[in-house]
Amino acid sequence: MSVLQCNALSKCYGKTPALDQVSFTIEPGRIVGLLGPNGSGKTTLIKLANGLLTPSAGEILICGAAPGRATHGLVSYLPERTCIPTWMSARQLLDFYGDFYGDFRRDAAEEMLQHLDISPTQRVKQMSKGTREKVQLIMVMSRQAKLYLLDEPIGGVDPATRDYILSTIISNYNPEAAVVISTHLISDVEKVLDEVIFINRGQVMLQSTVDQIREEKGMSVDALFREVFKC
Amino acid sequence: MLWQFSGDAPIYSQLIEQIKVGIVSGVFPPGERLPSVRDLATEAGVNPNTMQRALTELERDGLVYSQRTAGRFVTEDKAMIETAKRALAERHINAFLDAMTRLGYRREEVINMLRQEITGGGNGDVSLAM
Amino acid sequence: MLRKLLKHEFRATGRIMLPMIVILLATSVAANLSLRYLLNSRAWFFNMVGGLLMVAFVVAIIGVFVVAFVLMVQRFYKNLLQDEGYVMLTLPVSIHQHIWSKLIVSSVWFIVTTLAVILASCITVFDIGVVKEIFRGLGALLEELRKLQAYYAINGTAIAIELIVLTFLGLVAMCLQFYAALAAGHSLPSHKMAWSVVWYFGLQFVFQIIGVGGIQILDQVGFFDWSIFYPEIHLSHMAGIHIGLLMLTLATVVYGAVFYGITTFFLKKRLNLE
Repeated sequence: MSVLQCNALSKCYGKTPALDQVSFTIEPGRIVGLLGPNGSGKTTLIKLANGLLTPSAGEILICGAAPGRATHGLVSYLPERTCIPTWMSARQLLDFYGDFYGDFRRDAAEEMLQHLDISPTQRVKQMSKGTREKVQLIMVMSRQAKLYLLDEPIGGVDPATRDYILSTIISNYNPEAAVVISTHLISDVEKVLDEVIFINRGQVMLQSTVDQIREEKGMSVDALFREVFKC
Repeated sequence: MLWQFSGDAPIYSQLIEQIKVGIVSGVFPPGERLPSVRDLATEAGVNPNTMQRALTELERDGLVYSQRTAGRFVTEDKAMIETAKRALAERHINAFLDAMTRLGYRREEVINMLRQEITGGGNGDVSLAM
Repeated sequence: MLRKLLKHEFRATGRIMLPMIVILLATSVAANLSLRYLLNSRAWFFNMVGGLLMVAFVVAIIGVFVVAFVLMVQRFYKNLLQDEGYVMLTLPVSIHQHIWSKLIVSSVWFIVTTLAVILASCITVFDIGVVKEIFRGLGALLEELRKLQAYYAINGTAIAIELIVLTFLGLVAMCLQFYAALAAGHSLPSHKMAWSVVWYFGLQFVFQIIGVGGIQILDQVGFFDWSIFYPEIHLSHMAGIHIGLLMLTLATVVYGAVFYGITTFFLKKRLNLE
């Protein structure tokens, strides 16, 4: 069964359509890039999948079910900004995720935190912006979810952090789960992706595998993206 | 190993190429066990499925074989590795010749230049000009 | 899951409320000392210090109530409607559990705060003599009560309990009014806080109209003169008080339930996190 499925999904804010009749499916085991310029509807789509927004028309299904309490347990979500409670210490954060998610691998998270020299007593408030983003990613990737939704995980971080984030995503790869990475920084993530979905002005323009694009068009996804979205 | 990717060719074929180079150059010696797909993918910074596909192709070519539980190993067949080495070399030579042809050199000129370069008899400018 | 929500909610609020309560109790001890010694001292300096300590005690009482109140609003706002909402509202937890956890924790802190203030006041006036007086007073009160008819004793206790329940439910309903206004205001695309304030006063206004209008309509249909229609039922003053309190309590529950409904509706169907 597909992990994520959109059927003629539309979302309007007032009269402006943010998503317009979007349909696609994502199968387990895939790392998918949701690529589009700013304001193309990537975040709206991810929020819909998390039940943070409700569709205006059409449907979005996670493992066959509409977003809700049950699907929240299947989805691991990295929002576009850091939003872990800042008053918590690293240990309290581990408690928090462990309490609410049965699939949270605490030992894996602890190992990754240790690897970054983050002490369990350190508070999120005392961490640098880059460290906070890494900690949040660690929490998200330490879950054994069915679907990972990563909204702009590499936007606004330094190149070293970017490499760390991408290698964390690869080393936590699970053939039963799908990963969706939304970004506009394509050259950085291209190698990590199986598939790409191009989205512009709320519509899906293309869904293909990375190597298919390279084989058929003889150019990288990044180059194709620049061509398709030329201003 | 240094993993580098260019923009145009499919990533899996570039992976095949680079793993072949690794085998031929002895980074992965004959009969040696290869790292797991996940580790190789993490090291190369590529998608695990793409790495899997590259290894499957290498397996089909016979350069790599898998044992059900123990993992993947580099072939012990030295002749096969030699053939692969030769094929890689030919690819580089052909690419080089194509480039020289585009620059307008004829084959004999190219051979002469190469000979001069290797024996060190020519003026040192050639290497600078390259 | 509600238990886990409560655990983390207490963690989040306890780190602020517990120190506040400790400060309150500390100032009450200081106030006690100043009442007993400093204020009676002949030295102006000790007098002044004593006065300052008394002021600190009063400020601490006001402070602990204000903090409990601010925390009630702020936890809902910051934890569910601001950035943290991305984490909280994607937990495998229902909206109802979220609201209940906030409501229960706020109520517990209101009760704890009230008890702490009572305790602090007792500490402040604590004196061997005073305690003796209090016991003597209590004894006298019991004596008086014994002299009274059981009728008044029971009714008095009942009214006191009814008033406490009513106050408590009123607090919960007030919490829910804030939640409803915040949830509704934050469903709009911009000026979320301004809209929340508008919603708060809007709800206040509507319920006042309904309340006043309702009483007038009841009066019009002769609800308050029902003994005219049923002369065989004789209502004593005491029963009137009970019925009045019961109706107020019912009204408060309805009031709170409506706000609860508004809050869940907006969080479920009209969520619009920035």
